[in-house]
Amino acid sequence: MYRTVAQLDALTGFLAAWFPQYFLRVELPEPSVQGRPVYALRLRAGPGEGRRGVLLVGGTHARELMNPDAIVELAVDLLVSHANGTDVLYGGRTWTANEVRTILETLDLWLLPCSNPDGRHYVMTVDDLWRKNRRDNIGTTCDGVDLNRNLDLLWGVTEGQTSCSPCSDVYCGPSAFSEPETRNVKHLLDTYRIDCFADVHSYSELVLYPWGHAPTQTVDPTQRFTTLPTGTCAPIGRPGYQEYMTPQDLQRFQTVGQRIADAIAAVRGRVYTSQPGLGLYATTGTHDDYVYSRHIADSGLRKTYSYTFETGPWTGDARTSFHPADPTLIKRDAKSGMLALAQQCICAIELIGARLLGGEERISPLRRVRDALVATTEAGREWIALFERVQLPLVEIVLGDEGLSAEAAELLDLGLRMVDDEQSRLGREHIEPGLSYVRRLAEASRDERVRADLDAVRARLEQMVGLSSAEAIEEMMRRGPGGQAGTRAAE
Amino acid sequence: MSDPRPEPEQRAPATTARFEATISPGEKRRSLEDVADLGLDRVPGPTGQVRLLITTDDLVRLVDHGYEVNVKRALPVRPLDPGLVSDDGSDKAWLEEQVRGIDRQGT
Repeated sequence: MYRTVAQLDALTGFLAAWFPQYFLRVELPEPSVQGRPVYALRLRAGPGEGRRGVLLVGGTHARELMNPDAIVELAVDLLVSHANGTDVLYGGRTWTANEVRTILETLDLWLLPCSNPDGRHYVMTVDDLWRKNRRDNIGTTCDGVDLNRNLDLLWGVTEGQTSCSPCSDVYCGPSAFSEPETRNVKHLLDTYRIDCFADVHSYSELVLYPWGHAPTQTVDPTQRFTTLPTGTCAPIGRPGYQEYMTPQDLQRFQTVGQRIADAIAAVRGRVYTSQPGLGLYATTGTHDDYVYSRHIADSGLRKTYSYTFETGPWTGDARTSFHPADPTLIKRDAKSGMLALAQQCICAIELIGARLLGGEERISPLRRVRDALVATTEAGREWIALFERVQLPLVEIVLGDEGLSAEAAELLDLGLRMVDDEQSRLGREHIEPGLSYVRRLAEASRDERVRADLDAVRARLEQMVGLSSAEAIEEMMRRGPGGQAGTRAAE
Repeated sequence: MSDPRPEPEQRAPATTARFEATISPGEKRRSLEDVADLGLDRVPGPTGQVRLLITTDDLVRLVDHGYEVNVKRALPVRPLDPGLVSDDGSDKAWLEEQVRGIDRQGT
C-alpha cells in the first residue's frame, strides 16, 4: 500500500505534534508548482547543537512510490526504538537500541519524504508512470520537468539521459533550479548542516555515488566540471573527458557505499551494487552529483557525501517494478540502507571533541593533518580506512564508560598538542598510555575484526617511540597499519 | 485529513498509452550509442538491455532513426490501482499502534 500526499503530510504532522521532543516539522519556503506545501522533518534526540546532519529525500520521481513511505516509516521505527529502548529488526539485520540511540543523539536526521507532491498526486489520480513534476511548459503541449536533471551541476548539458526538450521525460527545465521542488532541497543544504545525503529512487538495487556525467579519475585535478560550459543543450563534447575526484573521497564513497549495500544484504540477502552513477547511465543536473559538487564549486561550502539509492529489483515489467503490489520487503531493505548511511555519517573524533573537549572546532588541527597529509598517500588512506572501520563499534564503548571517555579526551588532547608542536618527540611516557588504552578497547570489543585492527595499531605504535610528531605522521604516510609500504599517490 | 483519492487534474494526459520496449541497432545502425540523444524515458531492465517507456511519437522517432523496436507490452495511461492506496483510517490506526505507550509531550 502507498500513502497519498495528504496521508504523508498527516503522518509527519502527527509525529511533530505528538513528539516535539524528537521531531520538528518545517514547511519549506516554496510550495510545489501546483501550490502544495512541502514539508521536511528533523529527527533527533537529546541536547546538543552543531551536529552533523543527514538529509534523506524521497519522491523526486513521482512514480517511484515506495520511498516516501519508507522514509516516514523509518522515522517511526527510530522514534519507537529510542523511546522504548528496543532494537529495530529488519529481517536478519538488527539495529540495536544502542546503535539507534547513538545515531539519534549524535546526528540531526533531516527527512524530506515527498519532494514532488504534485507528481505523486498525479500518479495516484491520472497516470501511474508519471516521472516529472507538474510544471506547465508554456508554449508546448507537454508538462513537467525532471527534477533529477534540474540542479546546478552541468545543468543543460545533454550528456546521456538528459534533454532540453520540454516533451522529454528527462527534461532539465528552462534553467538550473527553475523548479520550486529543487529549490527546496537547495534551501535545506544552504540552511542546515548536511554532511551526508541520499536521494532515494527506484528501481534496480543500486547504491550510486558521484560522478554521473563522466568516468571518475583521481590523477588529474585540472579536469573539473567547473571548467566545462553549462546550458549548452549539447553533450560535454570533450573526447576522453574524465571528472576528477580526490583519492580519499573516492575511497570514502566506495567504503560507505559498500557498507550501505552490506546493511541491505544483511536484511534478506538482496545484493545491491555500489558504483558511480555513470554505471547506470550518463546524467547531468542530478541531486547526488550537485550535492557533492557544492564544495568544489564554492570552497566556502561544506563537503557533503551524497548517494542515490535505487530501491527494489526489476520484476519483469516497469509498472510493477516502480510500484509492486507489496513493497514491504523492499522498504525494509531501504530503511536498513538509510540507517547505514546515517551511521557512517558519525565521526567519532568530532563527537569526542564536541562532548569532551568543549567543541568540535578543537579537533580541526587533526582534520587538517588527515586531509592535507595522511590522506594523500595510499598507506595513509589505509590508516583512515582502519579508523573508519573501528570508530563506530568503539565509540559506543567509549561514550558508555566514563573512565574510557575521560582517557580518550586526555589522549586526544595529547595528540592535538603533539600536532601543534611538530618537533615534540613521542617518548615511552606518551606511547605507553596509548598502548594501554588500545589494549583495553580491544578487550571491551567483541568484534574479532576490530580486535585485529587494534592489534595492528598497537604494533605500529610501539615502533613510533622516539619519533617527532612530524616523523610519526610521515611514517603513517609511508607505511600502512599492517606495516607494509604504500605507494605515494596524488602528491 | 482529506480524502485519500483527491480529485484528478482537469487537464487530460498528453498520451493515452505508453509502450515498454527494447531496442536494437537495426539494419541501418551500428550501435545504440546515440539513443540517449533522443531524450527518451530509459528505465533499468535486465542486464545490458536498453529498455524504454515510449509514446507513439517516440516509437515513430526511433524507427525513423533506424532503430529496431521490440514492443514488450502496452501500458495504458491510468491512475495507480486504487487497491494499492492506503486509506486514512487504517494509516492513522497504524501510527497509533506503533507509538502506543510512548509519552506524548505535545498535543
